[in-house]
Amino acid sequence: MDMNEIKEIFFQECEEQLAELESGLLRLNDGDRDPETVNAVFRAVHSIKGGAGAFGLDDLVSFAHVFETTLDCVRSNKLEPTQEVLKVMLKSADVLADLTNVARDGGSVDQARSAQLIRELEALAKGEAPPAAATPAPVAAAPKAAPVAKAAPAPVAAAPLVNDEGFMPVAFSFDDFGGEEESVSDLPAYDIVFKPKSELYTKGNEATLLLRDLSRLGEMSIHCNMDNLPGLDQMDPETAYFSWKISIKTDKGEDAIRSVFEFAEWDCDLEVTALDAGEAGEGSDDDLPMQPVPFDLSVLDGEPDAPIGVVEEEEQLAAAAAAQEAAVAAAETASNVLQMAGNAARASAADKGAAATAAAQNNAQQAASAAAPTIRVDLDRVDRLINLVGELVINQAMLSQSVIENDSNGVSSINMGLEELQQLTREIQDSVMAIRAQPVKPVFQRMARTVREIADITGKSVRLVTEGENTEVDKTVIDKLAEPLTHMIRNAVDHGLEMPEKRLAAGKPAEGTVKLTAKHRSGRIVIELSDDGAGINRERVRQKAIDNDLIAADANLSDEEIDNLIFHAGFSTAEKVSDLSGRGVGMDVVKRSIQALGGRINISSKPGHGSVFTMSLPLTLAVLDGMVVTVAGQTLVVPLTAIVETLQPDAASIHSFGATQRLISIRNSFCPLVDVGRILNFRATQANPVEGVALLVESEGGGQRALMVDAIQGQRQVVIKSLEANYTHVPGIAAATILGDGRVALILDVDAVVAASRGQSLQQESSLAAAG
Amino acid sequence: MAAKKAAQKSLSLAPVLDLNEANALHTKLMGLRGNTLVIDASAVERVGALCVQVLMAGAKSWEEDKQSFTFAKVSDAFTKTTQLIGVNIDHLMAKEI
Repeated sequence: MDMNEIKEIFFQECEEQLAELESGLLRLNDGDRDPETVNAVFRAVHSIKGGAGAFGLDDLVSFAHVFETTLDCVRSNKLEPTQEVLKVMLKSADVLADLTNVARDGGSVDQARSAQLIRELEALAKGEAPPAAATPAPVAAAPKAAPVAKAAPAPVAAAPLVNDEGFMPVAFSFDDFGGEEESVSDLPAYDIVFKPKSELYTKGNEATLLLRDLSRLGEMSIHCNMDNLPGLDQMDPETAYFSWKISIKTDKGEDAIRSVFEFAEWDCDLEVTALDAGEAGEGSDDDLPMQPVPFDLSVLDGEPDAPIGVVEEEEQLAAAAAAQEAAVAAAETASNVLQMAGNAARASAADKGAAATAAAQNNAQQAASAAAPTIRVDLDRVDRLINLVGELVINQAMLSQSVIENDSNGVSSINMGLEELQQLTREIQDSVMAIRAQPVKPVFQRMARTVREIADITGKSVRLVTEGENTEVDKTVIDKLAEPLTHMIRNAVDHGLEMPEKRLAAGKPAEGTVKLTAKHRSGRIVIELSDDGAGINRERVRQKAIDNDLIAADANLSDEEIDNLIFHAGFSTAEKVSDLSGRGVGMDVVKRSIQALGGRINISSKPGHGSVFTMSLPLTLAVLDGMVVTVAGQTLVVPLTAIVETLQPDAASIHSFGATQRLISIRNSFCPLVDVGRILNFRATQANPVEGVALLVESEGGGQRALMVDAIQGQRQVVIKSLEANYTHVPGIAAATILGDGRVALILDVDAVVAASRGQSLQQESSLAAAG
Repeated sequence: MAAKKAAQKSLSLAPVLDLNEANALHTKLMGLRGNTLVIDASAVERVGALCVQVLMAGAKSWEEDKQSFTFAKVSDAFTKTTQLIGVNIDHLMAKEI
């Protein structure tokens, strides 16, 4: 592994640490006062500093150092993490992220901003209120000045970059790890007795690796009991003779200690005793000669030529070696273990409170270090695999079809074998798709920063609440989600939320809330962005639409239809164009990006209470469960997720409405009947509904329509082939696929067809669908 | 080159001394009994507890035989592992004269 690769891994780890940092700070901001949260935040910055020092990234080191010093004050309860303090820290986290990006990709950072934050952090560390920002801060925000400490108000003059204590940014060396040592004596201490049985070794576990992992939890000293060791003649080389007495000081808890031995617990005797503060100390209960364990054990991490310990939390690097030896038996279940541990961490975050979370996260981390289930794979390789599996699915379908055609009674063994093949193919496909699935968390976290920055610029006070960050979706979808989401968040803060004084006047808290949630719903991912602002000013939207000739002056639009007008190109109600939004390029771009992903976007707004944008996106862009139908001699595929039910209409339930419209009566309610063949211009006149089948579909707007098709052929999973990429966009058609018999079938764009049924022609759909 | 003293043998340890190596190491040491032994652990990249056990049992037996059992050179990985698992080999290190 060359230096660049190690550096790349460092940056990847930085991303993880930065995410950890941000989520920890946000938890603190939400009132979480668990010491483990503070520790996690501290560790994140400390790790970045450590790694950056090893690579000589001085800017990063010096900023992280100041940041870490201030965090240490929080950790040691010298500084109360008030909203004001956390605001500075969140901004510092942003700068730290910028510095990391610059270190990786080049470019430059806003020096003035980072210098200002260094001053603010230093002031906080000294127990002063942060010095006034050099850059004009929004006056309107006027948050309540929170007294940071009992100290006198901050000196107005900005503190010098080199502070009173003469701090100068210095390059980091590993000796600096002593930074944590000051407080080591305060850490909880544990005595551990570890007696491996011979089975531990025969099952492929290795005591040295367990001890190494244990030593990473804190300061450790050890005594090896060799009393049972016989001479060479009497010994069996594969029998366990050594046992250990260990003292460790760690803030990670007993669970973390035990989880180190997770894969070996049946094959060893393990006693973990938490010591009271008074008992803590070298060899407290007996006088065994305890030998201190060296801090830097990176040389044991499997890469003999690796640079000396990039960072202490470098489990990922070491994990590959650990996995090979420590968890051979557990290797196949490793990913499950990790997932379970991760799930446990998430679950307990919700129900058991932060303390349990910390322990569970520790477990997850430990499971990761013991089992190392991850590898980094080039995305191209995964995509190639996905394409090939797609071809396999098509091929398998074609094979099945030709066997069925030649096997009239359908009982031949080939036929049965093919069914198994079909299931296997499906499983392979699901597994391959799962490789690409990623949680939406990174995108959501980016939004937190967007909100902070826009709140600063607009002078509004905003809180971003996120839910369901661990919801997984295909990476392509995630990558393309960031841009529309950023647009929408900007709009929500800039247009949606009112200024604090206006909010107070309306009886709302001064701080506005923007909520971002993700969840799975019937095979799709639904992302909701809501704000508790003023809601859409429908009168103004309507007037604007009339002024721009988007609608007729006497058009009779429902509230929902008016709200959806904001998705029109060139539509903006902002009286003045601001830096953020209001150029009228926002929401139509958002809608188009979402549609390009095969998604739908919808808005619902309550005047005075805010707006909710709902995006529904496919989990993957590669396959689709569809109902294969015949319409005017053509084979079409209707996405299964859109279909509520299918029914065979009888003449009595069909009613005419106006000149051309027909309704179908379903369980005492009327639903418009849409002839797909007519809408797509497959035929000139409407077909007789009684001769066909009605598919009851639900469009994202919530309305139901009965789509008339001639017949249902069956239901199957199809591989999506983009029409845009291979041909061109066809109105009413979402994509194409290849059927078992080798023919191309078109996949119906249900929403577009529903919109067209409302009187808009499909050709205009791209510009006017929004109004539907 | 012939050794100055017929009774002095040396043993160079393999880079990887994992669980699979314990038996082999044991056999090698058994074959060297009765001789002054100088062990070269400079190539060791990884050593497991079982092999350390074998080496320490060896040291014990050599001591009983009143023969010298020393490590001439040790790698960083070897030293760190013994420190990690609390096995002190300082007294077995060859003294420079």
